[in-house]
Amino acid sequence: MLTTPQIMAMLQGTVLTIQLTVIGIIAGTILGIVLALGRISKSKLLNALTWFYVWVFRGTPLLMQLFIIVYAIPLFTLDILGNPVRLPLLVAAAVTYSLNSAAYLAEIFRAGIQSIDKGQMEASKALGMSYYQAMFKIIIPQAYRRLIPPVGNEIIMLLKDTSLVASIGLFELLRTVNQMSNATGRWFYYIYAAVVYLFLTSIVQLGFDKIEKRYSIYD
Amino acid sequence: MIKLENVYKSFGDLEVLKDINLEVKPGEVVCVIGPSGSGKSTMLRCLNQLERITSGKIYIDGELADQREMGKDLQDIPAEKAQELCTELGMVFQRFNLFPHLTVYENITIAPKIVKKIKEEDIKEVALDLLKLVGLEDKRDEYPSRLSGGQQQRVAIARALAMQPKIMLFDEPTSALDPELVGEVLEVMKKLAKDGMTMIVVTHEMGFAKEVGTRVIFMDEGRIVEEGDPNQIFENPQEDRTKTFLKKIL
Repeated sequence: MLTTPQIMAMLQGTVLTIQLTVIGIIAGTILGIVLALGRISKSKLLNALTWFYVWVFRGTPLLMQLFIIVYAIPLFTLDILGNPVRLPLLVAAAVTYSLNSAAYLAEIFRAGIQSIDKGQMEASKALGMSYYQAMFKIIIPQAYRRLIPPVGNEIIMLLKDTSLVASIGLFELLRTVNQMSNATGRWFYYIYAAVVYLFLTSIVQLGFDKIEKRYSIYD
Repeated sequence: MIKLENVYKSFGDLEVLKDINLEVKPGEVVCVIGPSGSGKSTMLRCLNQLERITSGKIYIDGELADQREMGKDLQDIPAEKAQELCTELGMVFQRFNLFPHLTVYENITIAPKIVKKIKEEDIKEVALDLLKLVGLEDKRDEYPSRLSGGQQQRVAIARALAMQPKIMLFDEPTSALDPELVGEVLEVMKKLAKDGMTMIVVTHEMGFAKEVGTRVIFMDEGRIVEEGDPNQIFENPQEDRTKTFLKKIL
């Protein structure tokens, strides 16, 4: 079965997976809210900029975005500045996942905000609230509940997609077991990885089921 | 208190308000009646700037709140100033528009807290008094979805009153209610009128207009066709269109 160093290695890989997911979701949520507000704002410029962002990051492969940040940007900066700008691998990966998930989350938030009855914004304005007061105190809090299922979905996707960093040489869970399997000629390491992934995604799913129930009180 | 001068409003090619002139004095209860699509609701919504007028002038409390010519802002009234003037108007909507994620109490206190920055302890008594006024003291911690339509509308009235408006606008406040729930909302509105609140009420409740209204305005096709004392409008309308309308609904 597993030796202690193997368990430690798998644990480290798992921690990296969780790190990337958590950073990606938190940074992605913050950027996603800003993008969503831009998408629904009355300003044509903001509309166009945020539309372009979503178009690019949703329309190209995540793996390609990862390669661009890790491989292409150092080459590009070498050409332009004469010096390669190279982010540490972990930072590069975290940035990529944040930028990518922001595009998806922005669309989720936009749809959630727009699904709230127009009368809510009107009532808020009639009571003297500013657009942003109404947005953050009235509209977005109501959108939360509708956002829970798709955001849960996005977290699970992101968690699984962290396995892509195997291709840039980071030892996350998948690459770790891949190495073990190659070194020993045994297959069952992949089962351990699958179990860990399933365990992590199950926690997300259960957590989100709970949150959804909690938010149903006012229905 | 409120004055509209030569107000026009168009949505694209559709002209919904044509040359509206109206002045409402303190303590008046003006009931606006007319067929649907006649511009009654739009007129109310222009007053608190949920819709922007195309041209004309609107005065609130003697101050110019909006002035436009062919859709262009002439006066360049600062947004904060306009917003401040609009908070002197409380609005009650046909579909209540309570905030479903907040309790009754929170619905009433949220605007004073975040707009006027009034502290919890200073607003609490006001909110409880308002709940008493609308007869819902026992519902303070309920969510709107647990209330009947009539109760929701009474909360909506309390919510608007919490901002201490000088004028209350009612946009068909009983039209979305089951018939047996209309009375309780009208009772609250009567109480307000008796307390001297200035009100503009778009309504189909002719009984209310007759009993409480100090003036009735009949609108049709975006114009004020006729206005006058409720008795005169209902018993002895001058215009043909008013006669036809009243014959249909009475």
